[in-house]
Amino acid sequence: MELPHPVRRRLEDFSRTVFSDPSRTDLTDGDHVKYREHGREVVSSLPLQMSLYFNMWFFPWWWIGEVVMLHLKYSSLPDYYKFILVTVLVVMTVIEAIRLYLGYAGNLQEKVPELAGFWLLSILLQFPLILFQLFNESIIILPLERGVHIVLGLFILTQAVSGFAALREMVRHTESQFHLRQFD
Amino acid sequence: MPAVVSSLVPARFLTITAHLVIVITIFWSRDNNVKAGLPLDFTQEQYDKEDTDLVVGLSVTLGLFAVELAGFFSATAVHASASVALLFFLFEQWDCDIYWWILAICSPGPPLQCIRLLVILCISTVGMLDILGYICHLQVCSPTQPRV
Repeated sequence: MELPHPVRRRLEDFSRTVFSDPSRTDLTDGDHVKYREHGREVVSSLPLQMSLYFNMWFFPWWWIGEVVMLHLKYSSLPDYYKFILVTVLVVMTVIEAIRLYLGYAGNLQEKVPELAGFWLLSILLQFPLILFQLFNESIIILPLERGVHIVLGLFILTQAVSGFAALREMVRHTESQFHLRQFD
Repeated sequence: MPAVVSSLVPARFLTITAHLVIVITIFWSRDNNVKAGLPLDFTQEQYDKEDTDLVVGLSVTLGLFAVELAGFFSATAVHASASVALLFFLFEQWDCDIYWWILAICSPGPPLQCIRLLVILCISTVGMLDILGYICHLQVCSPTQPRV
């Protein structure tokens, strides 16, 4: 499954503007020697991969806990929160599935657009949603919900931080490869 | 064998996470547990004292979780090498003084903290035994002075 082409291009442009190294202008001779080794270097990030792996294992249990808790408190919620919470659950499930797939593909196959898509989904969508679930007291947060949301929130936080570092490394790596290609 | 080993890691992670979720759940619903340990007519001070005790116990548990998760995520190589050292101690029947030295490292002191983490990791095994081992260690360490 590939990302559609216009989406890839947008994400590549975004990555290049945000993550590339502005301080690098002229390369020294030492840099040229270093970059010749680049074809064999691995830029996948281990902390990010570990976080994604454990997140993938934890997600079904988060889902079961959330559904059961929502079922238990459904009758004591006001009508608008019933609709909002069901929507938030569906949206979080779909986004989590897409996010984990993109994170795996981007990190293991060292693809920048996928990894950028994963990072944006984590920061802009999942993180506000999980904060909403944790800190909005009027949706009757049950203790088990607090437990599972805290764990998922910690996962998203570690993925945001390590994803940023991984994305920056990967963008600089691909940039230097582009630079090297002009000498072949 | 590799298939069995590779499914142990998520299994262990899920048990640790389940334990953590339950501890957080107890923390947020401790009202009934506190009332269960008090007489039917209790004063507010008794309630506060019991509540504080339970909070302290749960906080210690959360601190131990930090140690356990650090050991889990960093490397099992630390665990393995420390287990090897302890096996040597057991089978070669080292002097008991050496064991007191290992225990004495539990006493506070900034340069010894990292060694202490190693010792904690090496005494522990999986899951509940980690926490039990650490508590036993605390019991033994605090009144003990190292014999040089």
